[in-house]
Amino acid sequence: MHRPRLHWLTFLRIYLRSFLLQASWNFEKLQNLGFYYMILPGLRNIYGDDVPEDVRRRHTDYFNTHPYFAPLVAGTTLRLEAGSCVGEESSVDAETYKNMVMAPFAAMGDALFWGGARPLAALIGLLIASQGSLWAPVVFLLIFNLPHLFFRGSGLVLGYVQELRAIKTIQKCRLPDLAIRLKESTTILIGVLCAYLSFKGCEHQDLPAAWGFVVLPIVLLFAWLAHKGVSSLFLVLLTTSSLLLLALLF
Amino acid sequence: MVGVDYLLAGMVSMLTGLDRVALVQVMISRPLVAGPLTGWALGSPLVGLEIGMLLELLWLGRLPVGAAIPPDDTQVAVGATVLAASTGHFVGLDGMPLVILSVLIAIPLGKFGQVFDKLARHANDRLAVSGYDALMSGNTVKMERYHLFGLITFGLASLATALVIVLIGTLVLYSVAPALIGAVQEAGLSLQYSLILVGAAVLLGTTNVNRGISLFCTAFIGTLLVLWLR
Repeated sequence: MHRPRLHWLTFLRIYLRSFLLQASWNFEKLQNLGFYYMILPGLRNIYGDDVPEDVRRRHTDYFNTHPYFAPLVAGTTLRLEAGSCVGEESSVDAETYKNMVMAPFAAMGDALFWGGARPLAALIGLLIASQGSLWAPVVFLLIFNLPHLFFRGSGLVLGYVQELRAIKTIQKCRLPDLAIRLKESTTILIGVLCAYLSFKGCEHQDLPAAWGFVVLPIVLLFAWLAHKGVSSLFLVLLTTSSLLLLALLF
Repeated sequence: MVGVDYLLAGMVSMLTGLDRVALVQVMISRPLVAGPLTGWALGSPLVGLEIGMLLELLWLGRLPVGAAIPPDDTQVAVGATVLAASTGHFVGLDGMPLVILSVLIAIPLGKFGQVFDKLARHANDRLAVSGYDALMSGNTVKMERYHLFGLITFGLASLATALVIVLIGTLVLYSVAPALIGAVQEAGLSLQYSLILVGAAVLLGTTNVNRGISLFCTAFIGTLLVLWLR
């Protein structure tokens, strides 16, 4: 008996459904229903319209990973399901695989996309916005989404084609290292942005640019406070009330 | 501003709010995008851009990991843009001072976003159970429908947050604007830069990078020297 193969249209449908993965995100089982919703076209391809109850049950259990990594998990899961449907032996079953990878992929995705790519794209957007250009949001969206959308699509195909070997491929990509490089670039851009704003501030107040260096220790102090857990809201209120008080007094 | 404008702003609020968690996540929910988008719907995209700039970095370092719910900076951007685009005429303010006042009033109200978001997720708990039961009884279409109902709960939560920010924000703006007009106008540009710098400092403090301080200081000093000496 041959293993059922997924049609390219099925891949497309799973890809599009991955954008709805978190539609019913809930505290109890997080993305459970969303994961089943995403892989449903693939399961129908494998089992027909009547998906067996045990398959339905195991793919609606607790599930939580980074949404951009979910198609990769879906690809491998469907390949394992297709194999088990025709009685192929595998070192792990689909359920074990999901439980094994969801947390590491979630951590990887958080560091790479939320902690690395997004702040970097936002800072580039902000530097453009500081010139008053409405292209800033467009550039931000392009810088962030071209890799994001490619990653989702290639992850799905990679997961299906390489099955469990996809984990090794992801390891070879050294994504955590890439996340660190992105964060370092972000830190440099924060420095550039702060210096630019200090310079513009001095220009506006008719002060020599050297006064801009005063901003450096203040930003470092605020960064330290934020690192210690002081809320952004408090820092905003502290800054604005001080500036408004100064403006009222002088 | 006419009713159609408010309707458009409401649609932008829901669309950008859905992008935070429930739908697509292409980052139109970031203030740098949500602000100009709302501004564009109201005919003032540059006002939205200025608001987006002020808010973008403030909570960027708060990651939406697992069940953690960061403050709703999307609706803060949407609400502040609506305030700045619609109330200026009545409070006798315009330009950057109005933008800054709107942002300052909207920021604390962003906390409501966390409350509404939490309520939406609790409502989804029930949807998930109903969806699971439907699936186990063999009704896949019903399960899909329950799953997609989640979009409505998240969309309504976003809309409710924006509404609270606009309604309470308008009342606060009317009451505090007369007292603060002078000071805000005086401190205008300094306030604008300071708010972005606070955001940058918070992002710097929450980005865990080895040698982060030296990288930041080198970039800061190098850039300022280049700008100074050119």
